[in-house]
Amino acid sequence: MTQIELRNINKHFGPFHVINNVNLTVKDREFVVFLGQSGCGKTTTLRSIAGLETIDSGEILIGGTPVHMLKPEARDVAFVFQSFALYPHLTVFENMAFPLRAVGMAKAEVAATVERVAGVLQIRPLLKRRPSALSGGDLQRVAIGRALVRNPKAMLMDEPIGSLDAKLREEMRVELKRLHVEQGSTTIYVTHDQIEAMALADRIVVMHAGVLQQVGTPAEVYANPVNLFVAQFVGSPVMNVADVTVSGAAGAGLVTVKGASEGFAFPPALLAQVPDAARALKLGIRPEAIEVALTPAEGHLAAEAHIVEPLGSHDIVDIRVGDSLLRARTRPGFVAGPGTPVWLRLDPTRAHLFDSETGNSLGIRL
Amino acid sequence: MRLSFPRPFPDNQNPEAILANPSLAPDGSAPRSRGLSDLAIRNLFIIPTIIFLIVFNIFPLIYSLGYSFTDFRASTNAPANFVGLDNYRALLSDPFIWKNFTITAKYVIVSVTGQVVVGFGVAMLLNRDIPFKGLLTTLLLLPMMLSMAVVGLFWKLLYDPNFGVINYALGLGNFEWLADPDMALYAIAIADIWMWSPFVMLLSLAGLSAVPKHLYEAAAIDRASGLYTFFRITLPLVAPILMIAVIFRTMEAFKTFDIAYILASQPTTEVISIRLFKMAFQEWQTGMSCALAYIVLIMVLAITNIYVKYLNKVKER
Repeated sequence: MTQIELRNINKHFGPFHVINNVNLTVKDREFVVFLGQSGCGKTTTLRSIAGLETIDSGEILIGGTPVHMLKPEARDVAFVFQSFALYPHLTVFENMAFPLRAVGMAKAEVAATVERVAGVLQIRPLLKRRPSALSGGDLQRVAIGRALVRNPKAMLMDEPIGSLDAKLREEMRVELKRLHVEQGSTTIYVTHDQIEAMALADRIVVMHAGVLQQVGTPAEVYANPVNLFVAQFVGSPVMNVADVTVSGAAGAGLVTVKGASEGFAFPPALLAQVPDAARALKLGIRPEAIEVALTPAEGHLAAEAHIVEPLGSHDIVDIRVGDSLLRARTRPGFVAGPGTPVWLRLDPTRAHLFDSETGNSLGIRL
Repeated sequence: MRLSFPRPFPDNQNPEAILANPSLAPDGSAPRSRGLSDLAIRNLFIIPTIIFLIVFNIFPLIYSLGYSFTDFRASTNAPANFVGLDNYRALLSDPFIWKNFTITAKYVIVSVTGQVVVGFGVAMLLNRDIPFKGLLTTLLLLPMMLSMAVVGLFWKLLYDPNFGVINYALGLGNFEWLADPDMALYAIAIADIWMWSPFVMLLSLAGLSAVPKHLYEAAAIDRASGLYTFFRITLPLVAPILMIAVIFRTMEAFKTFDIAYILASQPTTEVISIRLFKMAFQEWQTGMSCALAYIVLIMVLAITNIYVKYLNKVKER
């Protein structure tokens, strides 16, 4: 059983605090994705687990054993590099055999293991080629193959499909998922691509400025972001965020977007939970939680479509409300084009309120 | 409305304008308002070098090839007689010449091996994060910058049996490094290793620093030991540039003259260049020595060719 635990780990690069007191437990056979922007510390955290970086303080345990003082070769983890890091002078077979030969495995066993893994990854015909003669997707398969042959305690992957084109990335994503289901090794995967994270992860770890922002299943992170950073990082298009004021006039709660003359009707029970209505608040609402109508309806506010982006399966419509632009998701061709009058309603069950100052969610749900 | 953008290039540097109107190209085909054309400037740099090469390299090379088929002696006024391949035949059947070649081969092997081992070893040390790396590298390059004659005289003092620092340091008493027939050749090779290891070091350092860091990281993750990583990653990847160093040093060692001439005059240290020198300028067998020079040239070319073939094979990977 391979559980990976990070306890209060910290790391500085000069004055930069790149890993800030990170605590995390990755369970056995779990697929965890570190998600964040470039420079958020996700790769450094992964490299620290592998032993390619030393941490300033804290503990890293793999399978219950503290490993943060050990060299990478003693930690028994496999690492897939973004650049693949295949040995250019060795053939695919030799690349995959490298970790086995390095520990003196018998020749016949090496050949059998490499053949088996090459079969799983469907790269048997490539075994005699050198990396320079391979396509991006094949390079990636070989890099994963080199990691898989050793049956490591854990697989660590640093944006392994980041350098592939969009179509190939999608194919490889499915393949990675399949491999994890089949092999079931504890995996930590680093990416800045939230779609990749949503598609692959059992749990997503959102990082920002070296700090863990939220840990949860893709659905949790998507539906209940703990702060504005997570809200605006996960999801495509991102969550709409607008400055609002809340009031409880005439028996019905109102959420008014800054600059708008009217407010959206919200259940008073929800708004009653706002601890201090005078505090500056931001409303977060996902595009699919905005209901758009082409005729006036009860509880809908009148507005006008600003831009329509047709994306094939759906359209994204930008609608000006007060000082903000709200992006709504509609079925294709629903809104004819810019300037079309529309009527909006927000789904209160999927609305989020954030403290403008701290950016944290108020955690108020209907 | 037509948008206009500032033009990024003058016309004679703008690829699109040049394609449309080739006479705009700045290659001298368009008249220039003043100064020399690019073509004229290019010729100004190249022609003197070419003339120099022809007069001092190509011409003597061809002229000496002609002499190698004659019995010409530069010390007499007698005309040169054509003797065909006699000089070559005589040289190749002369056991003393083969003795000189054997000495040279021994010297080349010891010297080049020593330079590669020392040079590559020092490069490995310098390829780490150490303080004053730049200064240290510069200091280590100093021997290479000295004149051969100076190095020869310098090592003569170091080897001196009476006050030489080497005997003092090794506690060898009055050991005669340069007079000992068995040791003298090695003594010369040691001086050559001292002088030229920095050259191998410099090229090795370039090769080592070009090995991507992530390959070492991958090897560490793959649980490879330091030795395994060295033989399976470092050495194969540095091999092409190391081969270039070996080619250069072999060619030079094969032609070694000055340092051997200055340090010792033993029959056991008579490398082929010294034999050639004696034949040409002491015995005045000009025609014969030209033939020997050509034999040496062909041998060096043959050895180099083997290396180059191997180099190409290594580079193909």
